[in-house]
Amino acid sequence: MMQRDVHLTAKDLLMSMQFKPGDFGKIAVISGQPQRVQMALEKLKNPMRNFSAFGYTLWTGEYKGKRVTVGHGGMYAPDAALITELLCVGGVEYLIRLGSCGAMTKEIGIGDYVIAKGAIRGDGVTRYYVDDDFVPYADKTLTTKLAETCKKHTHLGMIWTTDAILRETKEIVNDAIAKGAIAVDMVTSPFLTIAQLYGKRACALLVVTDNLITGEIGFADIRVFDAERRMIERGFDLIREI
Amino acid sequence: MRVLFLQPPLGWWAVWKRHIANNVAHAQLAANIREWYPEIEVKVLDARALGMDEKQMLDAIVEINPDLIYMGDALQTTGVAAIHPRYQHAAKLIKQVLPKVKICVGGFFYGANAPMMLEKTPEFDFVVAGETERTVPELAKELSKRDPDIPSIKGLAYRDKYGEVKLTAYRPLIENLDDLPLPAYDLFPMDKYVGFNYLKHYVETYMSRGCPNGCRFCVGWTNYDPRGNKDWTHYRYRSPERMAEEMELLVKKYGAKFICMMDEDLNVYRERMEGLIEELRRRNLKVPFFFMGRAPYHLRDRDLLKPLREVGFVCGLFGMEAVDKKTLEAIKKGTTVDEVAELVQLFRENNIVSVITWMVGFPEDDEMKIKDRIERLNLIDPDMAALQIMTPLPGIPMYKQLEPLVEDWDLRKWDFQHAVIRTKYLSREDLARLAAWANREFYSKPGRVQRILYYKGYHPFCRLIARTYVETAGKEHAQAAVEDKIFV
Repeated sequence: MMQRDVHLTAKDLLMSMQFKPGDFGKIAVISGQPQRVQMALEKLKNPMRNFSAFGYTLWTGEYKGKRVTVGHGGMYAPDAALITELLCVGGVEYLIRLGSCGAMTKEIGIGDYVIAKGAIRGDGVTRYYVDDDFVPYADKTLTTKLAETCKKHTHLGMIWTTDAILRETKEIVNDAIAKGAIAVDMVTSPFLTIAQLYGKRACALLVVTDNLITGEIGFADIRVFDAERRMIERGFDLIREI
Repeated sequence: MRVLFLQPPLGWWAVWKRHIANNVAHAQLAANIREWYPEIEVKVLDARALGMDEKQMLDAIVEINPDLIYMGDALQTTGVAAIHPRYQHAAKLIKQVLPKVKICVGGFFYGANAPMMLEKTPEFDFVVAGETERTVPELAKELSKRDPDIPSIKGLAYRDKYGEVKLTAYRPLIENLDDLPLPAYDLFPMDKYVGFNYLKHYVETYMSRGCPNGCRFCVGWTNYDPRGNKDWTHYRYRSPERMAEEMELLVKKYGAKFICMMDEDLNVYRERMEGLIEELRRRNLKVPFFFMGRAPYHLRDRDLLKPLREVGFVCGLFGMEAVDKKTLEAIKKGTTVDEVAELVQLFRENNIVSVITWMVGFPEDDEMKIKDRIERLNLIDPDMAALQIMTPLPGIPMYKQLEPLVEDWDLRKWDFQHAVIRTKYLSREDLARLAAWANREFYSKPGRVQRILYYKGYHPFCRLIARTYVETAGKEHAQAAVEDKIFV
């Protein structure tokens, strides 16, 4: 039987990767999709790779005089939980997630943005961190500032996080809508939950790639590509306000 | 005698969304007639550019009341053989309102198939065999005589008094393109042309003829009379001075903002490229331009890429078609994949957008071969890839080999965007599906899409062209390939 309390902590993992305190900046901008990571990386001056494991890479560089870490923040709840916790333990104070989501009201179009007010937990990983009735919220101040940088085609609301993109059935989706969700993704719940547990300020900006109500699919739509690029800009605009 | 150069209503390639280009062949022929036979009146009606429907076109034609109407294009990019049903339909309508008018077609597709196409198309009176530049003016001149001697005009299919189709003697090629006047752009609505959905003040030029390599699948062959001595491979070109003169005219007089040089192979001779750079510098001409060339010539002239970029070369196309040695040899490509890969990198280093042509639908193609081809293409990672589905036009060297594989003879689909053949291992439907898959794969690859849409080192017009390809990859291209939707 296992005798230790826990097999591996975030600190253990960071240390095993030769991480040293101060490697990460106080601000982190993370995304799941590689093209978003690349676009964010291009915003940094003198980026230095200082974390690389399991296919996830983080770089730290300078943006407008501030040290900023960018990189892969996970595409699904388990890996988002892993990277978020590593960032929190590694000294990051502000976490900005630039992701994507499916809209759950017909008024939200492909290429629009959704800013997460909080998350409805449909994922499996956060139950290992918090009780079932825990509701994670984004940092209010950061979220307000983010909303000010975005303005057009932006919607603020709760994000339902699911682990099962191919089981977004009518019953499950309508239940999430009844609980207040305006969009669905696979990351926001652990991202906000873990940031909140560690007392970090976190916010999430998501570009809309599809709509569960109208059935419209736009994963490779030019509106999404354009919105993604603008999303990176907005994310970095927010850094100026921090 | 009044000659009308007519572009009837027609569409454009699915992947180009809205693309309305000037007909450079018409502009050249109009200029030739005006210079050689000034007594002949020349009119132009670009019904497509003017947004005319059929009735408006017919009203305009009746008002012009021409004696001879010419339709045709030198460029495959107008729609490959899919232009023919459009021209035939227009001719049919015209004959109903002007039964005595003579109608002649020529150029791409017709050049190699003149007697056959005249035989099949009762609405046409003449089809030019091979090069049109001298034949059409001579036809106009002859028809203006009281007793025209049509058989004396070389390079022409016509009907004799018994209605039998006859073909006149072979017409030799024009050796020196500088002997031709500059195209008569003044007759065309130059402010109406649009390239790739977004580029206004867009112009296409055609300043050389032929390609010395002569790939066996190439539809360029169909511009030429098969009785010639491989005329397609007999390369002729306008001098750099004349090229720059034409470009300067287009920019200064007609406000051209982007010049698309549609020569099938512009960079055959280094001296020509050096001369072009020098002339554009001397004239201080600043206009972004595109041209098609061959990878080995670009590599030979690699030191010219930087100065070419400086004088406006922002985007270039070169062919790869296939990746395996056996296929490349079978089609006589004369280019290696390594050469293509190296050139893509050189283009990128110089901020020149690279466009590779590649194909599916070779007789031996199976799913694995096609997927291997796109894997290799992804490794080479050009900025854009123009996918062509094998379209076996009569007149290309591979035609006899491909003819038994043809499953759809509806020429409206013979535009490179539809599957009209099967392979030995794939049905027509499977080939179409794989083509749609491959094109969508290419234009949705993370990183590439962002590079071609947003990288500021690339000219903004090129990014707009890329935008059109990205936009159409999962939509119009798939509709053409898989759903057989007609676009041209």
